[in-house]
Amino acid sequence: MRKLQFAVFALAMCLITAPGAFAADTIKVGVPLAMTGSYTGAGENYWQGIKMAIDEINEGGGLLGKQLEVVRFDSKEYAPEVVMQGADYLCGQMKVASVQAGWSGWGQDVRAYGKYDQPFFCDDGSEAAVQVFREDPEKYGNIFQLTDTGINQAKSMFRVLMALPQKHHNNKVVIINTDDAWGTEVGDTMVESFKEKGWDVAKRETVPYGTIEWGPILTQIRKIDPAIIHVEIPSSQEVITFFRQFMKAPTNSVLSYGWSIVPREVMDTLGKEADGLIGEMPTAMPGPKAPNAKAQAWVDKFEKLYGHSPQGGSWAVYSGVMAWANAVKAVGDETKFKEINKYIQEHGYVGETGLWKWDADNVVRAGGDVPVGHYQVQNGQLVCIYTDPPTKPYADYKYQTPPWIKN
Amino acid sequence: MSWKRMAAIMAVFYAVVGILPLFVGDMRFVMHILIMCLIWAVVASCWDVIMGFAGIFSFGQVAFFVAGAYCSAMLAYHLHIPPVWTILIAGCFTGVLGVLVGLPCLKLAGPYVALVTFGVHMTLTPLLRGKIGIAMGSGGATGLLTIPPIQLFGWTFSSEHLVPFFYLTFAVTIICSAIILIIIKSFWGTAFLALKDSEEFATSLGVNAFKYKLMVFAITSFITGVIGAFYGHYVGMLSTRMLNLDLFCTLMVMLVVGGIGQFPGAILGAFITVTVNELLAPLGMYRPLIMGALVAALVLLLPEGVIGLIRSIGSMWRQNDPQTIPSS
Repeated sequence: MRKLQFAVFALAMCLITAPGAFAADTIKVGVPLAMTGSYTGAGENYWQGIKMAIDEINEGGGLLGKQLEVVRFDSKEYAPEVVMQGADYLCGQMKVASVQAGWSGWGQDVRAYGKYDQPFFCDDGSEAAVQVFREDPEKYGNIFQLTDTGINQAKSMFRVLMALPQKHHNNKVVIINTDDAWGTEVGDTMVESFKEKGWDVAKRETVPYGTIEWGPILTQIRKIDPAIIHVEIPSSQEVITFFRQFMKAPTNSVLSYGWSIVPREVMDTLGKEADGLIGEMPTAMPGPKAPNAKAQAWVDKFEKLYGHSPQGGSWAVYSGVMAWANAVKAVGDETKFKEINKYIQEHGYVGETGLWKWDADNVVRAGGDVPVGHYQVQNGQLVCIYTDPPTKPYADYKYQTPPWIKN
Repeated sequence: MSWKRMAAIMAVFYAVVGILPLFVGDMRFVMHILIMCLIWAVVASCWDVIMGFAGIFSFGQVAFFVAGAYCSAMLAYHLHIPPVWTILIAGCFTGVLGVLVGLPCLKLAGPYVALVTFGVHMTLTPLLRGKIGIAMGSGGATGLLTIPPIQLFGWTFSSEHLVPFFYLTFAVTIICSAIILIIIKSFWGTAFLALKDSEEFATSLGVNAFKYKLMVFAITSFITGVIGAFYGHYVGMLSTRMLNLDLFCTLMVMLVVGGIGQFPGAILGAFITVTVNELLAPLGMYRPLIMGALVAALVLLLPEGVIGLIRSIGSMWRQNDPQTIPSS
């Protein structure tokens, strides 16, 4: 019994002291991502991009001659105290030099990490996060958003839907979104945009995560027979089941999935079955053919490493790490946080496709060299057909009328 | 367990916890965990009173916690009422809510009470996120991101300054724990236990089941609402993500670890569970797996939780004590 007690004590002490045991001449990078819970899939996508960047820097001799050391934190399901705990652990306790995150709390993170000075990169895509930032831009000057807000992404989706060379049989639209901050932000903006354009929003449905039985909603949709159905649910099982149940008796509708097309399981499961679906990825690397040789090399490397094409967020967070590393090199000291933040704000970062520039709200707004990519599933793969803003066709790729639309 | 022994365990434990900021006061992360331990200790204790002592399978404790947090935050944020008052109002609100939930539960037996109370938990998310919640000022899906801190005697207590907030939480936790201890060891507590063991027999002795069951709902939901409100003003932001199953399961683990119906086991359970959970955090996806295995092992090896272990050690020590061995 005493041996057992000793073993338990020793294990506990190891776990307590483990982080300090690696306190060599390294630069710590905090990575708070969902490692458990319902956001694990998105967390893994982000982790792939962050890991790729950190490994690349380390293989190239490190940053300022020091290797980067990752300190991970499980954000679980982003309860307020967990987000706060992540900030206190990474910035306060582990004294990381920077925090690289993906989704990280939709505004809660701005408050939690804004207490510190370490550069914090996240992919909230949230107007609420921007509103918090605007309360005190000086205090929150270390917060850098890697994607535009849900409102602007929704406007971009709307512009592309209107630009599609698709003849509609009526002006009716059905919008289905989740009941979380992202879903309602996009859903509300889409409703507003369609109404402004004179469309009839025949049905707006807000559903909780976990909805997989679509019978009653699809019955109403079939009765409406809309020209466009927009589904905004960033979770794979819901959108896969919706698509399969829709396809049992499809209406002559363009099926727009917005960001819902991003979870990797959607394409892995549906493959060619999903041909015709359209969706978007903010701060996405357009493909399959990247815009230039440098970007193509990045895509090739990613595919070689992970065996699949880059999913939403991977490239954004990769660029976040690189933007920070670039600023550290320019400042010459990873601990001069305020100078590093100032450098990022003023100079941005030149990445594979061009300039990443943070605006006065410290948000990389869609457009320029980092537009929103709008995709269609063609022959089982995501093909970028438009970039926005401004709305323009991408490369030689063309929109194809979905196979279920019979005119 | 006698109330003196319960009070002694609590006194020793809280005395140790009370001096911890002297050593870790400058470590924000550790201080934050200590504050959360104190908050969860109260919630777990309330759950223990209703489930462990009164034998009512209520699964609504997290819902009362969140309802209290939102009530206080909305009043303070939208109506600018000082948080000291909104916390008390939130307690009263959840107390009334507890009675309303308790009323239908009085006509139901074990698993059905669990279903009704868990139903309350489940309806809270769409209520707060939906149009009704937005109209009430819940912030909808985004939640509330600017909750004012507690102001008391000219002092501001917030997450910016953790040591003062720790001692404020510490005082509130001790008061709540003392109230729970008094209830458990009073006639009310005896009535709860009697109703739990045999409702028919207790009723035949004059114990009013209706009155006491309703009372336990009101008291536990009042205290849970107060500490929930406290949590909201501490963290400064709220979202319905607190209603995810992660927190619910963690609270349940606290009860199992501490020992169900083994007060003050729930307090110890809260501290142990939160600490182990944090120690296992670097293991990522293996954390819930290990936690689950630990709970399964604990249930098999220590069915009465850590309090059962302490009691066993205590009786072993007394047996080995030469002074307690009767001379022949």
